[in-house]
Amino acid sequence: MSKYFFSIGFYLFSISLMAQEQTKDSIPVKTERYGVRVGVDLFKIGKSVFEDGYQGIELVGDYRLTKNYYLAGELGNENRTVQEDRLNFTTKGTYFKVGFDYNVYENWLDMENLVYVGFRIGVSSHSQELNTYKVYNRNPYLGEAPDVISGAKFDGLSAQWGEFILGVKAELFSNVYAGFSARIHFLVNETELDGFENLYIPGFNKTYGGSFGVGFNYTISYFIPIYKKKIEPKIAKP
Amino acid sequence: MKRILWILVLSLFFHSCEKDDICTPETPTTPRLIIEFYDSENTSVLKQVANLAVKGQGLNTALNFNLVSKIELPLKTSEDQTLYDFTINSTSATSVFNVDKIEINYTRRDIYISRACGFKTYYSLNLLNPVVETNPENDTVLWIKDINVIKNNIENEDNVHVKIFF
Repeated sequence: MSKYFFSIGFYLFSISLMAQEQTKDSIPVKTERYGVRVGVDLFKIGKSVFEDGYQGIELVGDYRLTKNYYLAGELGNENRTVQEDRLNFTTKGTYFKVGFDYNVYENWLDMENLVYVGFRIGVSSHSQELNTYKVYNRNPYLGEAPDVISGAKFDGLSAQWGEFILGVKAELFSNVYAGFSARIHFLVNETELDGFENLYIPGFNKTYGGSFGVGFNYTISYFIPIYKKKIEPKIAKP
Repeated sequence: MKRILWILVLSLFFHSCEKDDICTPETPTTPRLIIEFYDSENTSVLKQVANLAVKGQGLNTALNFNLVSKIELPLKTSEDQTLYDFTINSTSATSVFNVDKIEINYTRRDIYISRACGFKTYYSLNLLNPVVETNPENDTVLWIKDINVIKNNIENEDNVHVKIFF
């Protein structure tokens, strides 16, 4: 019996020795690429083409800082006219978002896909113009009044907000990535309008009086490698 | 890789949901003119109107009030003047039936309420000739004896704006 045990023990030991030798000799040194990824939001481009009253573009970019952390940001411009039931307005402006993405996805081999959580600080500079409105009259005995043409313009507006992000980026083919991110926005500060309100904030999206909003983007981006970092293979303890 | 692409495709579906935004009935909107009727003999005593028909000029239907001392009348939101015919005892064929023409003059301000409700109109009755009373042709009797403006600014329906004595 003891002899039997000993031979098994010896056998396992020899395997572990072999395994250790193999890790040293046959596994190639893994490298991770670091660089800048730049891209564009396809949804905003599509919306500009297919939706009347909308023109918008968003450029996205990230820079890999460490194994899992990326410095990331978006720069966009929107011009949107919205027809609500009781009013029509146009918002124009530019926004900038900056923050971090943290990759939680453990890639196999040399794949470079991302499933990430992120945070952004966003700021907008915009203007809003009230085009037409209706007067709400619960007692239309005298007849519905026609739409009022206003043209009141509110310039020099700004808003600041934060965003929590959940997203993915997948390498479609060499250095080209498709991405999606869903975002929850929370408004921190906005310019108050005298006799009106911010009905749309570029980059933040719709506001409904409440301070929360949602957003998303579908991006296509290109990765520009700058340098490589070697990853020391992890040696399992015997 | 395949799994990630699936997430991308699935994510296409959930951006179509948007929050509803409705104008609730409790939201104060364009106020009406609140008129209270008083006895012309005893000016501090409320007096009920009998079959009062109030008809906007050029309209075919009237707003009817009976056995009340307070009425609410909408004002035009697109003009600075609203014209009404006040007919007392409108259902009677006898001589108690009488029409007085009422002209209400004011200035307007449109006030933003919300995205869903749009705007409301606030009125300010003119200081010089806020409510003018005239007789129609071939009528020499004014059933309304006096009109007093209590509150020039019409911004809600909580207060009485005009007192009519008859």
